[in-house]
Amino acid sequence: MTVAAVLAAGLTIYAVVAVVALPRLLGRASWTGRAPRLGIMVWQAACVSVVVSVLSAVFVLAVPAPVVGHGLAELFAQCAEVLADGPGLTAATALAGVGVAGALMARLAWCAAAVLAGARAERRRHAEALALLGRHDGALDAIVVDFDERLAYCVPGRQGKAVITTAALRELSPDETAAVLAHERAHLRGRHHLVLAFGEAFARAFPGMPLFERGRAELARLVELLADDLAARRHPRVLIASALVRLATGRAPAFTLGAGGESALARVRRLLAPAPPLGRGERVTGALAVGLLLAGPAVTGLAPGLTSLLAHHCLDFLSF
Amino acid sequence: MVRGLGELESTIMDRMWSYRRPASVRDVLEDLRREREIAYTTVMTVMDKLHTKGLLTREAVGKAYIYRPVSSKEAYTADLMRESLARSGNQAATLVHFLERLTPEEADALEAALKVYPPRGRA
Repeated sequence: MTVAAVLAAGLTIYAVVAVVALPRLLGRASWTGRAPRLGIMVWQAACVSVVVSVLSAVFVLAVPAPVVGHGLAELFAQCAEVLADGPGLTAATALAGVGVAGALMARLAWCAAAVLAGARAERRRHAEALALLGRHDGALDAIVVDFDERLAYCVPGRQGKAVITTAALRELSPDETAAVLAHERAHLRGRHHLVLAFGEAFARAFPGMPLFERGRAELARLVELLADDLAARRHPRVLIASALVRLATGRAPAFTLGAGGESALARVRRLLAPAPPLGRGERVTGALAVGLLLAGPAVTGLAPGLTSLLAHHCLDFLSF
Repeated sequence: MVRGLGELESTIMDRMWSYRRPASVRDVLEDLRREREIAYTTVMTVMDKLHTKGLLTREAVGKAYIYRPVSSKEAYTADLMRESLARSGNQAATLVHFLERLTPEEADALEAALKVYPPRGRA
């Protein structure tokens, strides 16, 4: 019981500290811009680790280790007993813990479902309107919309489409257009909308938490950098940069987004003067961090049970 | 068949936008028949659907309806772009890029940066 309490306290402290400290630590890291894909994975793992550590803390407290040791059937039997016996101290704590864990998961699942369903509905409506307003250009493999603003974007989904306006086509050279559309198709192929939905779901489920707020913004930023890098495999970086400049200037005020020009500026500078990619050592470290973030809390939470399980079965084995 | 209907919706809306005056199902039918075989009921169904979707408004004149686009193609496009691209909530719906607005100073800085690396193919 004491071991369980210590582990649970540790997991809870980790969750609280991670929510505040991880966004500062990761947000200041400049390496994410050099390896956006790894950066995305680390941010996602950080978000997941906090939720899993809270769940693990509850698990450690609520489920006595010997019960796990005796296998699942007994675990359920114990749960039933706890529920049937009514209010003892441990039973009450266990119930409260399970309630907290359940509420946490339910909220996250609910928000994820709401984000995905909302996005899908909006996409469908948008695609329907595009079918009326735009025309598919076979050579560009994109939908062209008659419009006076320079825009390029994509509508993700099963039949994802890149969209570009006639004003953008007028402004961009053919090479720049190809570079922009390569960027869009990188988003579509990488299913980047799911990365954004991930960030949105966590931020919406647990509002005001620095890790999730920052995570949502960073995921959105890194997804852009990743698409830039993927487009740059086939198109000169300078063309992507010049296309970005031409599209980002001369825009009507109605289209102002909260983001401001900061990220466009950063992206252009990065395209023109790319930092060297991460070395092998740094990549391995990053991958290990992802593994640790994902597995650490769960393993900690299961440790007493696993130890007990091993002990139990080793005894069986020895007595046999 | 659903796809065919979608195409027809698009064609009919384009015609309606091009007339710049109200039109009946019969008017649209005669226009379309110059290019293809099509049944009156098909056109009527599609125009009714466009009305339900809020793209066409109609008023009864005698026994038939006279239809008119709710807004011009330009206005409809602007609404669509504005609504979907400037929405604040759900980023996962449409991935919008190249949308940041730059201040003139930032734009100048970027242009200057680009002049150091002139893109090939542009004078």
